[in-house]
Amino acid sequence: MQRTRPPVKQQHLSREFVITGNVAALGPARDAIMDFVRQHCTGEQQEIDVMVAVQEALANAILHGCRNDAAKLVHCTVEISPSAIEFTIRDPGPGFDSGGVTDAIEDGTNLTQHGRGICLIRGVMDELTYRHNGAELYMKKEIVGKSE
Amino acid sequence: MLKVDIQSAPSVATLHCSGRLVLGVEAETLRCLTTSRTERHVLLDLSRVQIVDAAGLGLLVELHLWAHKRSARLSIASRSLPAHRLLAMTGLDRVLHLVGLPAEAGVESRCGEWQIMTA
Repeated sequence: MQRTRPPVKQQHLSREFVITGNVAALGPARDAIMDFVRQHCTGEQQEIDVMVAVQEALANAILHGCRNDAAKLVHCTVEISPSAIEFTIRDPGPGFDSGGVTDAIEDGTNLTQHGRGICLIRGVMDELTYRHNGAELYMKKEIVGKSE
Repeated sequence: MLKVDIQSAPSVATLHCSGRLVLGVEAETLRCLTTSRTERHVLLDLSRVQIVDAAGLGLLVELHLWAHKRSARLSIASRSLPAHRLLAMTGLDRVLHLVGLPAEAGVESRCGEWQIMTA
C-alpha cells in the first residue's frame, strides 16, 4: 500500500554534499542526501524515484568521473523549492558525449551488464540535462503538478 | 542493505531478497549467492526489494545469461512495485523470466532448508 503525504511547506532550501569518489562512499552519501530531501517528497513513490535517480547519478559520477578514486571528489548541490527538488552533480572527469546515449535499451535488447543508468534517471525524473561536456548533471523532480 | 533468505529444495533454490539491490556489496553478494547454487531452477524473489539500480538490473541480466549457459532456469518474482516498474522501464520485463509469486514458478513455499545472509 502506498502512503501519501502532503509536501512540507517551506522556503527555498539548498545544501551541498561533497563525496569522495569511491564506491564505498556511495551508500552513505545517497542516504545523507535522502535524509535531506525525504520530507519534501509527496509520497513513497516519489521518494523511491528520487532515491533511484540519486543512486544512479552518484554511481555514474564515481565510476566514470572519478574512476573509483577516493582522492577525487563529487560535488552534489540539492535545491528544494515549493515546486521542485533539483540536483546538480559534478565530477572531475572529462565528461562524455551525452548525445551518443540512446534509448535502445528500452526495447530490452541490451543484454549487457551496463548502460541502463541514464534510462532509469530519465524514467523517474521530470528533467535531465548534461552540462560541461557531460561532467555535470542537472536533474529535477517536480513536487506539485505531476500525476503519479 | 540487502538481506537474502535462501530456501533450498532438491531441484530449486529460492532466494528471498529484501532491502536494496544496488551497486557494491549488495550486488556482489547476490551474484555470489546465486552463482553458487547447483539446483536446476533458481528463483529470485524480489518482492520485498525496495530499489534496484542499473548495477542491480545488470546483475539480473548477467544471472539470466549464467542460467541459460548452464541450461538452468532463473525466474524472478518482482511483485514489488518499484522493482517491477524499473524492469519495465528498461525493457527487461520482456527478456527475463518474471513470475508474480514464488508459487507461480512452481516453488512449494513450505519445503526445503533455510539460510539467511545479510550484506
